Amino acid sequence: MSATGSSNPEYVNARVRARRGALYDDEDYRKLVRMGPAEIARFMEESTYEEEINALGARFSGVDLVEFALNRSLAKQFNDILDWAGGRLYDLIARYLRKFDAWNVKTVIRGIYADTPREEVETDLIRAGEFDDRLVERLLEATTIEEVVDRLSGTIYGPPLRTAYEDYEESGVLVPLENAVDRAFYENLLTGLVTNEATEQYREFLYAEIDFRNARNALRLARSGANIDPSEYYIDGGRLFSASELSQLASSPEELVTRIRESTYGDRLSAALTDLDRADSLIGFERALEAALLEYSESLGHVFPLSVSPIISYILAKEREVENIRAIARGREAGLSEDEIEEELVIL
Amino acid sequence: MAEDVKPTRKNLMEIEDRIELSERGHDTLEQKRDGLIMEFMDILDQAQDVRSGLSDDYERAQHKINMARAMEGDVAVRGAAAALKEYPEITTQSKNIMGVVVPQIESSRVKKSIDQRGYGLLGSSARIDEAADAYEELLESIILAAEVETAMKKMLHEIETTKRRVNALEFKVLPDLYEGQEYIEQKLEEQEREEIFRMKKIKAKKEEEEKEAKEADKAAAKEPGTATAD
Repeated sequence: MSATGSSNPEYVNARVRARRGALYDDEDYRKLVRMGPAEIARFMEESTYEEEINALGARFSGVDLVEFALNRSLAKQFNDILDWAGGRLYDLIARYLRKFDAWNVKTVIRGIYADTPREEVETDLIRAGEFDDRLVERLLEATTIEEVVDRLSGTIYGPPLRTAYEDYEESGVLVPLENAVDRAFYENLLTGLVTNEATEQYREFLYAEIDFRNARNALRLARSGANIDPSEYYIDGGRLFSASELSQLASSPEELVTRIRESTYGDRLSAALTDLDRADSLIGFERALEAALLEYSESLGHVFPLSVSPIISYILAKEREVENIRAIARGREAGLSEDEIEEELVIL
Repeated sequence: MAEDVKPTRKNLMEIEDRIELSERGHDTLEQKRDGLIMEFMDILDQAQDVRSGLSDDYERAQHKINMARAMEGDVAVRGAAAALKEYPEITTQSKNIMGVVVPQIESSRVKKSIDQRGYGLLGSSARIDEAADAYEELLESIILAAEVETAMKKMLHEIETTKRRVNALEFKVLPDLYEGQEYIEQKLEEQEREEIFRMKKIKAKKEEEEKEAKEADKAAAKEPGTATAD
């Protein structure tokens, strides 16, 4: 469907509830952690991933088969949701799923930049966003970055990419283009969002998404020691920091951590913030942010069962499942121990 | 060998000059060899440290990239890697250690700040940053290892060459020269002895002839009266 027509949360929620039941549970993860990549592919073939594994089995094997099947399943599931949804509900879901459009735009641009063959770029796309196949095909056919920018002119990425293209021409690096794409996605999460009682929680979740992104980027900048103004990387729309506050806080990671600790997210992230003080790696903190977002989304599903919230909660759970299975398969391939892999998984 | 040399005084003087030069060269080369070995030992210690650091850096980088591939996906890691076309720049200069020219490798643009890696900051994660960081450090270690290990190999080659030269001088050139000198000296002494003997012989013969001539003169002086009476 599309943004036209009437909103149909009851129908979509009913379909999503059935899909949610098919997600892997703790017992499945316990089994997966003990399997090798080939066994994982076999296990997936016997579950909801059968179609994807069979379709890709002739082209890929081992962990690559697992990863591409996961991406294809993710795309199929989210496309189904967008197909089912109509009216305002479509708009609410598409806001979040545009992150895959952003991913695809960046993948196409990187492909052109690095002279990667079209087939390889196409394999790396995750067609789970709002772009239709025709637009994706047109992007894949583009031979220059300027053509990609032109072909995106009717989307939310068009105007910011046009501005960033000048910077790209000057610097020769993709950073301005990639940042413009991601910024367009994040800043459009909340633009024009009409909130009522049913969508209030969804809005809270989107705030958290932006705040967490700002917090992790500020910490990355602070820890990198690079002489960069953090406000350049600030995403508007969050509630935790303003651009000027972030600029001040980024020079002192301790103050930044204190600020997060004292915020509404403090309780959820308390343990991770304590670890962050001790460790020199941000990975644990990022994992904690992901877990906090997932927890947030879990709670979304229970308050208004017939709103967009349970659907977003399912989308996040599905994303997390894909990430967990991929982590297990890649971890096993790299020879990581079961404990190390389990530590990386985010399971509620 | 020594028999090939003509036993002349000129050749002896030439051999003596060559012996002097060879002995001086032998001493110098011995000093050079010892000096090179000392320098080599220093470089060896450094190379061992660099090697062990390189091994640790490799393990670390491999672990970080495995974690990034596991958590972000291979596609995301490949994508981030494809976002940069610029290669690090490496320039080589040379320095001289006891006559051995060893390379000095300078690298630039290996370690990059977070905004110079090509991929956007807003949509990436600390896992990719840390994998990129670890690989930049690994690359720096590889460049350092290349410099130290090339210097070590060149030093080793030079030590081998110097050692061969010292040995050649000590066990071949100098003994041959000494032998040649001894041969010529013996031959010259022999020639001298022969000359003295010949001279003595000539002298004796001359004296004999003189004596005979004197006796003949004396005999001739006694004969004239007999001849008159006839």
